[in-house]
Amino acid sequence: MKDRGDTVTGKYFGQPVLRLEDKHLLTGRAKFCDDIVIPGMLHAAFLRSDYAHAIIKNIDVTEARKHPGVVAVYTAEDMGDYWKVGPLQVPPPFAIKGAQFNARTLPPIAKGKVRFSGEPIAVVIAESRYIAEDACEDIIFDAEPLPAVIDLEKAWEDTSVLVHDDLPSNMAALVKQESGDYEAAKKQADVVVSHRYVADHVAGAAMENRGFVVNWDERTQEMTVWAGTQAPLPLRSAIASRMGLVENQVRVITPYIGGGFGPKVMTSQADDVLLPWISMKLNRPIKWIEDRRENFLATTSERDQVHHCEMALKKDGTILGFKDIFYHNTGAYDPYGMTVPLNTQTHTVSNYRVPNFYTEIRMVFTNEMVVTPVRGAGRSEGVFVMERMMDLAARELKMDPVEIRLKNLLKKEEFPLNTGVIGQDFVVGVLDSGDYKNNLEKCIQMIDYEKFRNEIQPKARKEGKHLGIGVVTFTEGTAVGPYEGARVTVGNNGKVSVATGYSTQGQGHFTVFAQIVAEQLNVKVEDVRVITGDTGHFHWGAGTFASRGATIAGSAIHSAAVLVREKIFATAAKLLDVPEDQVELCEGSVCVKGHPEKSVSLGDLAGKANPMRGAVEADVKPGLEATAYYAPPHGATGSGACAMIVDVDPETCKVNIERFVLVHDCGTVINPLLLEGQIQGGVSMGIGNAFYEKMVYDENGQLMTASFMDYLMPQATDMPKRMEIGHNVHPSPLNTLGLKGVGEAGALPPPPAFCQAVEDALYEYDLDLTESNLNPSLLYKFKNEATKR
Amino acid sequence: MNVEGEYIFNGPQQAVYEMFNDPNALATAVPGMQKMVQVDETHYEGAIFLRIGPISAAFEGVLSLTDVNPPESCTLNIEGKGKAGFAKGVGRVKFTDIGNNQTKLNYSGEVNIGGTLASVGQRMIDSVAKSMIKSGCEKLQKTLEERCQQK
Amino acid sequence: MAQLIKIKVTVNDTVYEREVEPRLLLSDFIRHELGLFGTHVGCEHGMCGACTILFDGEPVRSCLIFAVQANGHEIKTVESLGTPEHLHPLQEAFNEKHGLQCGFCTPGILMTVVPFLEENPHPSEDEIREAIDGNICRCTGYEKIIESVQAASEKMSSGK
Repeated sequence: MKDRGDTVTGKYFGQPVLRLEDKHLLTGRAKFCDDIVIPGMLHAAFLRSDYAHAIIKNIDVTEARKHPGVVAVYTAEDMGDYWKVGPLQVPPPFAIKGAQFNARTLPPIAKGKVRFSGEPIAVVIAESRYIAEDACEDIIFDAEPLPAVIDLEKAWEDTSVLVHDDLPSNMAALVKQESGDYEAAKKQADVVVSHRYVADHVAGAAMENRGFVVNWDERTQEMTVWAGTQAPLPLRSAIASRMGLVENQVRVITPYIGGGFGPKVMTSQADDVLLPWISMKLNRPIKWIEDRRENFLATTSERDQVHHCEMALKKDGTILGFKDIFYHNTGAYDPYGMTVPLNTQTHTVSNYRVPNFYTEIRMVFTNEMVVTPVRGAGRSEGVFVMERMMDLAARELKMDPVEIRLKNLLKKEEFPLNTGVIGQDFVVGVLDSGDYKNNLEKCIQMIDYEKFRNEIQPKARKEGKHLGIGVVTFTEGTAVGPYEGARVTVGNNGKVSVATGYSTQGQGHFTVFAQIVAEQLNVKVEDVRVITGDTGHFHWGAGTFASRGATIAGSAIHSAAVLVREKIFATAAKLLDVPEDQVELCEGSVCVKGHPEKSVSLGDLAGKANPMRGAVEADVKPGLEATAYYAPPHGATGSGACAMIVDVDPETCKVNIERFVLVHDCGTVINPLLLEGQIQGGVSMGIGNAFYEKMVYDENGQLMTASFMDYLMPQATDMPKRMEIGHNVHPSPLNTLGLKGVGEAGALPPPPAFCQAVEDALYEYDLDLTESNLNPSLLYKFKNEATKR
Repeated sequence: MNVEGEYIFNGPQQAVYEMFNDPNALATAVPGMQKMVQVDETHYEGAIFLRIGPISAAFEGVLSLTDVNPPESCTLNIEGKGKAGFAKGVGRVKFTDIGNNQTKLNYSGEVNIGGTLASVGQRMIDSVAKSMIKSGCEKLQKTLEERCQQK
Repeated sequence: MAQLIKIKVTVNDTVYEREVEPRLLLSDFIRHELGLFGTHVGCEHGMCGACTILFDGEPVRSCLIFAVQANGHEIKTVESLGTPEHLHPLQEAFNEKHGLQCGFCTPGILMTVVPFLEENPHPSEDEIREAIDGNICRCTGYEKIIESVQAASEKMSSGK
């Protein structure tokens, strides 16, 4: 087989190819979930609990059932045996020695007890959504409210109120990981710093809310589902299993999706459990479209941790050890296992040399909606606390924050490096590639660090301005298994189709995956049609998460394309009667080297490869087609450094980001234009987290930020004028193309960089920012609590 | 949400206290109150139509009096439920004779709200509560003056 | 059920006569009554701008208006700008500069920018940023949207 160096010439691969999907999206022709209309379709609306924690006494739906236009109303009782709690979406962490985990998975609709505000209690099926919501108001919900479990540290200790009465406490999990001997290291230390940090709760808040449309065809005994999901294959399996169908009786199609960001991976929620059942019962297609308030209340969200960190160092700034005991909020249930806190755990020790560490996850049940990944998926919190601790140590040792980082960053010569920490994929993390020091050096060069410190900042201070700079580094664990797959097929018209189980929410897969294939088969990118997330076209795969698309699906697509290329050569050589090494791909056709007149078009060749008459080989594989899968041994780790210069008004505590630099290494770049888009998008979320966004629950478990009026989204004027992005390219040795993921990278560094920069700006104060999501009022509070230098 | 404040009534302490215990007076004083019916000595049932920002909805509630200490103080406990959410509040009221035929009312309390009301009307609730209390007191002031005149 | 009201609305130069409930939102009317799905609904409380359409030439959030209020008025939606075969220069610019990712907020942004560019054919970067400040995008970080609008202004003023 020809090696990568020969086949990747860069004609399409690595080029800023413009997106094929744009023209459909720009003209409003692209079909999203709510655009799907099926004759006879009915509409669903959910009645949701206002109480965060309550015992259900009675749900009276009699009046609702009589409402004109209402076809049916269901509660848990009506579901009989069909009602059962959902499956664990992610296996428990028993690969980690001593891990304790209490699985309490999500019920589709509340039964007996309500455990979070927004939990569905009843579903109304009516001729229109308007009527369905009207009928919800006719339902009489009688419940006895209980106190709500909200505070994480309190929930761990206090057993007087239990989210799950069958457990002795609110402990959802306890996972400890260690390497070396932290306590011994601490004894050797010149300096020990410790602090408590809070990572705040955020929402994914994609612009399109969730949606689910299901059509059960009784005559063909087949079910079709259109869903705004990042996990069409697990969704298909779950539905088939629950409905007693074999998998290929259920087809899950992902239409165009208006952003995923994590929460759309979660399945076995009210919609995908109830609506297929109802569709079968009523023999009608059913549609449910989530509204924005429902999205805030009852779609998953993330972050919300409290960390108690400790770091032991030598007086020259060398880290001897790190200890982190942290509380993680999993919400009322834990169907998503430990993915998020394990990511946090791994990301505290995968950047700097930490020879001894002890980290402990105390996962807690609360009366809030379930926590599952949101862009960053736990990595953000790990990066936040580690970078803050580095700043704390720097302050204690009177070192420059860049200096202390350079001292401790892992060196590229050390890779591959076994981190000693088991991650979300249940294997020990191995850092595969990158030059972390160079990321940082490039970053400080781009932001003119020395000039800022020596000239710009002193001058600004003289003028009474408060400019500050923050510089942080980060790694991003990406491209974890298990696997993805793809099938590449040359059509009789010479155009190529690619089908993969992977799904798309705006990342540009229709273009990037086409580039990979176009490169191998020497066809135009626009002649490659990519199908993602349609289980009728490809039915194996795990889902879109953990920045794994380009690497895992891309690698499978590449392998399949290479196999097709080989088949093309073999088939063409036979047809043109020359040895295999004498044929080559000439845009859209195959020709003999040196004899361009002796050729056959790819379309004709495809036809020849699928004879409709005559005898063929016993082990025939018809057509110019191949299927391939890719499974990595472990995830690939991207890395980077980020710096920002801020201008703070000490009176109003308004912060403007004057300059923003991000240097990033995601290995080989398939499309530099789309890569920039991914990074910029991630950054805007990171900036949103740093200074605008926060999900706030009151002590009764009431969500106070369930609309864009209170949950502030970053807008155009909140961004810096320019995001200056630098690239380092250290291909990953883990896959042929050298890829690493990048989807979540931009979201990771802004919060700690922001904190460092603001502390630096308000230099007259001994400011100590220990919370990840700030805002002017909170900053004002921190400022007032700080001592003046 | 916490509320706290004071109001000077133009009338003797006893009259003010009695007014606060009169469901008819309270019913007309609170804006949006549809009905208030006394169930027993310390319990009232009522219905109110509230408008908070974009949310306007009907609520049914129960008001009960505890720590009754006439004519000086008492505690009002309110629980209301409706389609737009629920509210639970405690208000401690204290009356002091400040001479000159005037009575000072001191109030302090907490209100917890939930449901749509809480998730969408957050930023309005403080100001709506304050304005309801203000207009309620002003209405009661008028009622008080009418009653004193009648005497 | 409420009484149905007769309305006559011009949408993308076609006159539609329909009977609707008074409470039917204009966004739902455009999408589900008329089958014009390009206008998207992101929040239904006027904050995100995804549902922006032109109401007598002015950009307006269709989720905050009732269909009956559009009686006798002229509406333009994203479908009036171009087709996949013939993109409007603004749409071309968005493709060239990668000004969209998931595309859900995009129609609202396009309909905000169209009248903006009519009034400001040569906008500065800051002016563009202000103009789209009422449209929330979760995917792009806005930078490439601004570049797209800049490129569009150059295309459109040079008469391309």
